[in-house]
Amino acid sequence: MKLAYYPGCSLHSSSVEYDISSRKVCAALGIELVEVKDWICCGSSPAHQCDDLMSVALPAKNLALVRQTDDLKQLCAPCASCYSRLKVTQQRLTDNDLKKDVETVIDMEYPEDIEVLHMLDVVVEKAGTETIKEKVVKSLAGMKVACYYGCLMTRPPKVTGKKQFENPTQMESLVEALGAETVDWNMKTFCCGAAFALTKTDVVLELTRKILADAESSGANAISVGCPLCHANLDGRQTQINSKFKTNFHIPIFYFTELMGLALGIEAKELGILKHLTDAKKFLNERALV
Amino acid sequence: MKVVKQENINLDSSFAQEIAKLSGENVFLCYQCKKCASGCPSRMFMDSTPTELMRYAQLGMVDEAMKQNTIWYCVSCQTCSTRCPQDIDIAHVIDTMRIIGQQKKIQSDNNKLPLFNRLWMTMIKYMGRAYEAGLVASLNLFSGTPTKDMVLGMKMMRKGKLKLWPSFRKPFATMKMFSRAKKLKK
Repeated sequence: MKLAYYPGCSLHSSSVEYDISSRKVCAALGIELVEVKDWICCGSSPAHQCDDLMSVALPAKNLALVRQTDDLKQLCAPCASCYSRLKVTQQRLTDNDLKKDVETVIDMEYPEDIEVLHMLDVVVEKAGTETIKEKVVKSLAGMKVACYYGCLMTRPPKVTGKKQFENPTQMESLVEALGAETVDWNMKTFCCGAAFALTKTDVVLELTRKILADAESSGANAISVGCPLCHANLDGRQTQINSKFKTNFHIPIFYFTELMGLALGIEAKELGILKHLTDAKKFLNERALV
Repeated sequence: MKVVKQENINLDSSFAQEIAKLSGENVFLCYQCKKCASGCPSRMFMDSTPTELMRYAQLGMVDEAMKQNTIWYCVSCQTCSTRCPQDIDIAHVIDTMRIIGQQKKIQSDNNKLPLFNRLWMTMIKYMGRAYEAGLVASLNLFSGTPTKDMVLGMKMMRKGKLKLWPSFRKPFATMKMFSRAKKLKK
């Protein structure tokens, strides 16, 4: 299987381990990822709240660039925000007037037939959990994982086309196929405050605290995510949360691709897990996964 | 709900019409069921609820809608848009109010979002991609908190998670896109 790949800005910088592990895992599953040539930022958090036309023109330009990348028709976006902006654009450009404006702005033909997939869709639906299960060499037994989806992987369903948007279970089926246990918890689609990470950090600390607290009280010893901003908040802000709220969280946060990589026998170091800010090495050592 | 004096209410649907024109959303469909307010994760920080915001829009209460902090505390999580029984894309309505607010320079106090948006969009325009280290540094500098998140930033840099230098990706391509968009809007 060959897919166009749109990493997005975060995966080239603050969540480089998501990029590394996605590529490694896809290679192991025989999925070829071709990075979209000269891709640009999708406009992520700022565009939709300050410039409506650019908020659809920027993703549209990337979709047009997919067409020029080996004439591929499926695009994989690991970042939940990029995924959402690309899907929103596809939905809004069914309006012909807006489409005409956007084509003027991007000075390219806008392709209507590109299928946009999140990385989780690619591994669960295209590769399949049964195939993944067969390739597991190191079971993740002993891990109790809270699968966290955040907002944009499932919402709004009109855009993502997801049938289970209040209580999704895709990631659970994947994590269980890797041999780990999953927990039933309340916050799997609750917002971490992502877009406010830099501007209203107080909001992020409060919302993230709620998520960590619920995961912990549900008996989870790790959280699995599929969005670079969720990871940055849950992983990077635990120290700040502990000092602000006098809590004592130390929950390792993994991208689901990292968990897959571990189960498929790839070393933690090669997957970039040592780059986490909340140390995961001790946790993996205790379970003989390093 | 906050009590507003009758003489202060200016019933005028031009605000709702402006929102409809910019977003295609009809705020008059809202019948105040409060599903959006109940599910809003950011509610505790807001001056009024998303439900009240929809009512302000219906009644043309522009000041209540635009000068309170409510629209600037929306985290764009799409919970309200997902749950609205009248299928109003409330998050899109709020985005539209923010766009109007930024164009007319109406701001609630101590709000960094317009600056954040401007900086990021400028980066896309001239570099094609976001440059995270530069965004954090310039945002903190211009908003007068230069040392905010410094420890976190240093940790990230040590782990190789923040690139010191931006990557320029065919900058003329995005600059041209922005200028074509500007022409089109005129």
